Amino acid sequence: MRKSNKWQLWRQVRQICQTFFFLLFIYLLFAALQRRVAFPLADLFFRFDPLGALGAMLASREWLPRLVLSVATVGVTVLLGRMWCGWVCPLGTLLEWIGPAQVRRRTQGVPPRWRSGKYLILVGVLSMAALGSLTLLILDPLALFTRTMTTVVLPALNYVVTAVLGALYPIPLLQGVLDTVEQLVRGSMLPVKQPFFVGNLLIASIFVLILALNRLADRFWCRYLCPLGALLALFSRISLLRPAVGGGCARCGRCSNVCRVDAIEVQEDYRIVPSECVVCLDCLAACPEQGIGLRAAIPVSTMRVNKQIAWPAPGESYDPSRRQLLAALGLGVAGVVVMRTSPRAHSPDPALIRPPGAQDEETFLSRCLRCTQCMKVCPTSGLQPTLLQGGLEALWTPHLVPRLGYCNYGCNACGQVCPSGAIPPLDLESKRRIVLGHAVIDRDRCLPWAAGIPCIVCEEMCPVAPKAIRLEEVAVLDSRGTQVVVQRPHVLGDLCIGCGICEYQCPVEGEAAIRVFRVQTSETKNILI
Amino acid sequence: MRRMTRRRFLKWMVASSGIILWTGACSSNAPIQISPARRTVPGPTSGQAYLSVARGEDAAAVTRAALAAVGGMGRFVKAGDDVIIKPNICIDYHPPEYATTTNPLVVGTLVMLCLEAGARRVRVMDMPFGGTPETAYAVSGIADATRAARGEMEVMSPLKFVIVNIPQGRDITQWEVYKDILEADVLINVPIAKHHSLARLSLACKNLLGVVRYPNRMHRNLGQRLADLASLIKPSLTVVDAMRILVANGPTGGSLNDVRQTNMVIASHDMVAADAFAATLFGLRGEDIAYIKLSADMGLGTLDLNAINIEEINA
Repeated sequence: MRKSNKWQLWRQVRQICQTFFFLLFIYLLFAALQRRVAFPLADLFFRFDPLGALGAMLASREWLPRLVLSVATVGVTVLLGRMWCGWVCPLGTLLEWIGPAQVRRRTQGVPPRWRSGKYLILVGVLSMAALGSLTLLILDPLALFTRTMTTVVLPALNYVVTAVLGALYPIPLLQGVLDTVEQLVRGSMLPVKQPFFVGNLLIASIFVLILALNRLADRFWCRYLCPLGALLALFSRISLLRPAVGGGCARCGRCSNVCRVDAIEVQEDYRIVPSECVVCLDCLAACPEQGIGLRAAIPVSTMRVNKQIAWPAPGESYDPSRRQLLAALGLGVAGVVVMRTSPRAHSPDPALIRPPGAQDEETFLSRCLRCTQCMKVCPTSGLQPTLLQGGLEALWTPHLVPRLGYCNYGCNACGQVCPSGAIPPLDLESKRRIVLGHAVIDRDRCLPWAAGIPCIVCEEMCPVAPKAIRLEEVAVLDSRGTQVVVQRPHVLGDLCIGCGICEYQCPVEGEAAIRVFRVQTSETKNILI
Repeated sequence: MRRMTRRRFLKWMVASSGIILWTGACSSNAPIQISPARRTVPGPTSGQAYLSVARGEDAAAVTRAALAAVGGMGRFVKAGDDVIIKPNICIDYHPPEYATTTNPLVVGTLVMLCLEAGARRVRVMDMPFGGTPETAYAVSGIADATRAARGEMEVMSPLKFVIVNIPQGRDITQWEVYKDILEADVLINVPIAKHHSLARLSLACKNLLGVVRYPNRMHRNLGQRLADLASLIKPSLTVVDAMRILVANGPTGGSLNDVRQTNMVIASHDMVAADAFAATLFGLRGEDIAYIKLSADMGLGTLDLNAINIEEINA
């Protein structure tokens, strides 16, 4: 019989902690889901993410006060090791939950040297950031998870709930209940209009791949790929308190069997590698002799004596070589240079309309964490993940697709939830003056222009006062040759703010007869309000 | 878990395809016929005005006075009735001072009057074209006013739209309409009087665009299509909010320069007459507005303001 062990309690505390943070993460997803006024701490997790903070500050060469809390994560790591990974990170928690249920077998077929992969990715992220490019932050675990939830899981959830409710609705007995359910969730938890996101299949595939890799090794992503894990691993090499195997060890191997990240070197006298350990405490709880404990690695006293708790922790065989690091650095630099010399970097797709206040492309790209929170909060789901419209460098940054959703004149939510200020937090009055783009009428498609059919929807919808669309009354011949009076719309360029509601609402099927195109530089308008 | 045998696999297949087929069958788009006889619009008896116009600064008092003159809410709402009030909450951009959405005090007072008359429940709803229902309800002040009066705000559910035949329709004979709007015992239409470029004015009949799918497709022949819609959706009572009216840049407004303080509420069982009267506030006549004229042509009401008993009150 196994002796009861205080670490089993601590392991439970850790599991509760993980569950709490996971649920908090999910709650925050919903708290800022298609809302005009977002929950003020919706970006809480990102504020504690040192990878995003370091990357964005490097790239923008600016002090971003909203991301300063991430120092706390670094502080905890220096004290206690990668607790972020083992106790907090929602992606890590998910990967742990879907890991094999039985006693985890040691990694099969994955050579330990793959662990250097995450460091090389980190070097790539940071070297590109140093040149002002945050493209590789698409691999930040929080951004990756949020992106998948935003563009794949939440729309799918809404679709399924709506479909199920719709299928049950014709049953008269259930209507009362379903009406109540609808009123509870619709408009608050779930949007009224089904959101659609560009490229959701690609984003879903990448996430499924990460989940599938978990079959090769428990927490594969965390061990071999995660750049945030790599950054924290650097700090946990100097962590002051670490699990270490003591004298009573019976060499039973249980600890290394339960270790999810394979951080216990059985061959090296059961040494627990601090850079890999995520402080999950499973080994301490599993040790029948209670031979593993948290030991302080106080610099002076322990430095050379005991490799187990040496400070700083000695290097590992799988640490990247200087050659590899230089290669990663070089690749990062070359990547930026090549991306910057692509035609799209020079002249982005005219349809690449940036969110309000993010019109200066270079500044925007050096701050955007690719976290997708703006797309999630956008009440019209008009903000969409960019594919290659701005070159590869702008992958999965937000842009407005007016045909899918317009920029609501009464809303400034994207700036409120942006963790790095890439979309500035503007008050409503300032945001209303920001010019996102310019509307252009396609006279070959526009009903009054092309077919003599009355329509003024674009003018009706135009939110600025005075309206940026002027109607000109003209007598024209319709398709039957009868004379009709129609009102032809004209865009007034100096008033249009490019919000795109005209394009969204244009009743012409397929491509709208009025389209918004990007502006190259930021400008604001003095519209009478 | 039990092993998946062929038998079990087939059972699962049958069960799941059954569910899928049933789901598909349920979501079929067969138009339904709603009996229009269900909601009758009572004409005025002696002592009740055909149309009332109340003036004053206190929107609540003005609304009460307008209702009293047409016979009180008891004429329209019976004990146990399920009531829907349809204000104009078209956008979530501006507070009520901008005259883009119906005055919240008018709506709140109507909710209260309905409940006083014994209504079982009073729901308030609209489908904004700019912004989400949740925020539009809040920004317009109507959510607070309704809840204070113990009414319910309903977010119009995508499940409740049905394709309906429009037997009297001259241009459109079918459209997707919110089911509850057709089925409620009492429907009170509470537009705000505003400028609109195509229709010229957005009044009660135009306000019905907020209860149908694809409102933008109505614009191709807006006047007749609105009249057709009015022949299907017959509000029991029309209350035009003209406390503030928007005279330009409608329906979205945004400039206080375009707002006129007219301090008036118009009430009638006849939507056409109420619209015709409201048009005069803009210096127009009912005949000038296509949907008013065509509705009258279809026999849905009268636009001849000289032929009806109009009571004007100062509240």
